[in-house]
Amino acid sequence: MPNRKIEITTLQFGDLEVGEEHIFNFEQGLLGFDDLHEFVLVSEEETIPFKWLISLEEPEIGFPLLSPWHIDLSYEPGRDFNLDREVLMVVITLEDEKGLMTANMKAPIIFDIEKQTGRQVIMTSDRYSTNQVISTK
Amino acid sequence: MLVLSRKIGEVVTVGSSVKVTVLSFDRGIVRLGIEAPKSIPVHRKEVYDKIIELNRQASKTDLSSLKTAMSKVGLKFRNQVNEGKVAPSLKFSVKKQNIEEEK
Repeated sequence: MPNRKIEITTLQFGDLEVGEEHIFNFEQGLLGFDDLHEFVLVSEEETIPFKWLISLEEPEIGFPLLSPWHIDLSYEPGRDFNLDREVLMVVITLEDEKGLMTANMKAPIIFDIEKQTGRQVIMTSDRYSTNQVISTK
Repeated sequence: MLVLSRKIGEVVTVGSSVKVTVLSFDRGIVRLGIEAPKSIPVHRKEVYDKIIELNRQASKTDLSSLKTAMSKVGLKFRNQVNEGKVAPSLKFSVKKQNIEEEK
């Protein structure tokens, strides 16, 4: 069975050809984006190790993501996550006025590698912040 | 909005699986106990709203802004060596192809 290929035009990267094997299904969408269900994860050479979560339904929408352990090596998301099968990444926000980069450590995006599904979960504990500043220290 | 009055210790049910109990009221602060299945997330509204706002802001990020921000943070990411805990390289990421490469 041939792999479905989709062409999308993204804001950041222009035209991309996406294979079905790259698509993650987000049944609940993302918080604030309930109607977006199909995403791909894009690597772009100059912004590695960041990745971009691009919406297939609205390819102008893309979220910069980063592995939380790049920010806090002792990050412990807790028992609700199965780190053998699930990859966690956090959403990065840039605050241009202050030149700050912050990460939402409290509501990571979870990718299930086997099922090709994704979801965003808010941790119940107050241990982590929605606005963790990323600095050189 | 449905408005109900409850005394301390009384319960409100939402659907068949959510129960909200008024635990205490002291100096203007109400403590609520909420029982809900794991499939139904329960959070303070302002946390929820904050995350929606952060997602919205992030969704508009363009490539050059991220590059600029990365250069300000410096070499921090390049020097990360700790392979064990870093997310495994995701084989399902789509690499941006150089136009030259395709030709």
